[in-house]
Amino acid sequence: MKAVKMMDNLYLNDFTRGIFKENPTFRLVLGMCPTLAITVLVKNGLGMGLAVVAVLACSNVVISSLRRFIPEQVRIPCYIVIIATFVTIIEMVLQAFIPALYDALGVFVPLIVVNCIILGRAEAFAGKQPVLRSLCDGIGSGLGFTLGLLLLSLVREIFGNGTLLAETNYAIQLFGPNFEPMRIFAQPAGAFIVLGLLLALTNIIFKRFQID
Amino acid sequence: MEKLISILFIYILVDNFVLQRFFGICPFLGVSRKMETAMGMGMAVVFVITLSTLVTWLIHYYILVPLGLEFLQLVTFILVIAGLVQLVEIFLRKASPTLYQGLGIYLPLITTNCAVLAVALLAVRQEFTLLESVVFGIAASLGFWMALVIMSGIRERLELTKVPGPLQGTAITLITAGILSLAFMGFRGMLTF
Amino acid sequence: MPEFTRQVLTLVVVTVVAAGLLAGANMITAPVIAERQAEDYRSALEEYFPDMAEFKTEVLDEGSFDLVYNAGGELLGVMASASVQGYDGPISYNLAVDKEGAILGLRIVEHTETQGVGDVIEKPEFQNQFLGKNCLDPLQIGEDVDTVSGATISTSAMINSMRQLLSVVAENLLLLETEEPLDIAAVPDGAYRGSGEGYFGEIGVEVTVDSGKVTAIEIVEHHEKPTYLVEAVASISPQIIDGQTLEVDTKTGATESSIGIVDAVKDALTKALNAEDVESGEDDG
Repeated sequence: MKAVKMMDNLYLNDFTRGIFKENPTFRLVLGMCPTLAITVLVKNGLGMGLAVVAVLACSNVVISSLRRFIPEQVRIPCYIVIIATFVTIIEMVLQAFIPALYDALGVFVPLIVVNCIILGRAEAFAGKQPVLRSLCDGIGSGLGFTLGLLLLSLVREIFGNGTLLAETNYAIQLFGPNFEPMRIFAQPAGAFIVLGLLLALTNIIFKRFQID
Repeated sequence: MEKLISILFIYILVDNFVLQRFFGICPFLGVSRKMETAMGMGMAVVFVITLSTLVTWLIHYYILVPLGLEFLQLVTFILVIAGLVQLVEIFLRKASPTLYQGLGIYLPLITTNCAVLAVALLAVRQEFTLLESVVFGIAASLGFWMALVIMSGIRERLELTKVPGPLQGTAITLITAGILSLAFMGFRGMLTF
Repeated sequence: MPEFTRQVLTLVVVTVVAAGLLAGANMITAPVIAERQAEDYRSALEEYFPDMAEFKTEVLDEGSFDLVYNAGGELLGVMASASVQGYDGPISYNLAVDKEGAILGLRIVEHTETQGVGDVIEKPEFQNQFLGKNCLDPLQIGEDVDTVSGATISTSAMINSMRQLLSVVAENLLLLETEEPLDIAAVPDGAYRGSGEGYFGEIGVEVTVDSGKVTAIEIVEHHEKPTYLVEAVASISPQIIDGQTLEVDTKTGATESSIGIVDAVKDALTKALNAEDVESGEDDG
């Protein structure tokens, strides 16, 4: 009974670590390119985040199950090929079934390959740990990344566009007709500044609750 | 010729790869602490991007397209870039130990610099010719180098100032980058032809 | 050595399996993607031409054109597909034109313009200004249509490309007159000034009309190189004065200057005719 509980905790721990303690966006500061580039709208942030969750879960599982067969010296090229394969599949699926999102994310879909989070998790975790734990870790880190994208895109969309969930079926116009969107939030400069402030905010929160 | 000059101008200043297009942010944040490392990294990136754009363009138009294998584009490009970085490293170590000492430690980091893959992919997507692609690569990487060097200059001074606790580290670097990006937005105004 | 072989072998196996997987995924998704694009195009056609029964495709240098017919075999209009170099790579678009040569709609098929800047070409604030514009309209930037500030390159590329495409549709497919010929005989006597764009800037002319005929063309302002200007004048003025027409051959040794002079004469005579209209309008009222 106790053993089962311990096991649960182990998986839960792998899962939550990527979301809070080692959040890729706010704690590790990884995968910044898509984080800054496509978070103009919540829709794009969510879409990118979920695409990364899918790639990360698949690549972690495959890399973990092949960990005994891949020789040490060629592991990085092997990881890259595996990751690139899943990214290409995701790209095809998006283009076929969610074309609007595919168009909005543009070149950042194939660039998921060089998202340091994915290679980072493969190298630091999946290459050494069993399959199920790697899956939990992959989904957790992916969701942590999604959380970062979501927060940043929320701020940028509310101020830069005056809407919530624009370009979806649930779009809400937040302000009256006289509201002039603060375009700077949608511009590249706004992305840097908002993310910088969000980082400072999480620093304060983590320090206050002494999570480190 | 006019187009080549405009590519050069646009991708160094107006659409700076780091500050306006968000490619290569990780090395931009990671190795911009010191002017010296920024120079080294910048030079290595210019070298690798120019070379890899040339090679991937040739592979795309002379191997992938004729064989109808465009769906292997991403796997091929990333493998070519990784292989190229290795080759450059081996070659430099043998041919020019001094240059290797300067650039060597940055080379492995370049494989996961998304600017390299981005240039290769965009050159094909935007239907550039071979010459335009190479100029595009040079412009994008020079833009990256410039942003890196400017940033490291600012950060060296930032070291000496008192930054409020929570803003220390990456947060203040990002905000500084935002202000830099704001300044670079001004170049867009020059495009009124 | 076996260790090295094993490394290479692993890499090869991984790559081959990956390539196989991708080929499979491509086989599944490629038809879906093609199907979706065809479906999108088809539904756009039906939106612009609700009575559509069939269409015939014609391919010219400028793009591909679908001539749309109703069930009775009557021509309803043309859906043109073309591509233009935008700020960040090619923009491919469709232009729906009715049989009178008026724009029914603009549809961006694919583009890679920057989000929040060049992608304004997809939005109504840019597109709506073209609705109802006719092949007789100038479609000139700053005249009847405008670029969007901040995205000047993308939008002006679109406008210039659409102007050309529309005139190809009107002249080659709908066989419409795109410009009403200027009736010189209707111009009242007098001397009129007008201007046109030469190689180095504005060319100003003064045109003298006597009993419904152009009798003299004098250059009053120019920035052209003198030798070119002389050549252009020597070629253009006799053609206009002898033929009493503005449909002249501008392929001279100084083509740009010649076009400038013809445009300036056209401008002067158009102004003269319009001034006439205004006066007679006042008389009526």
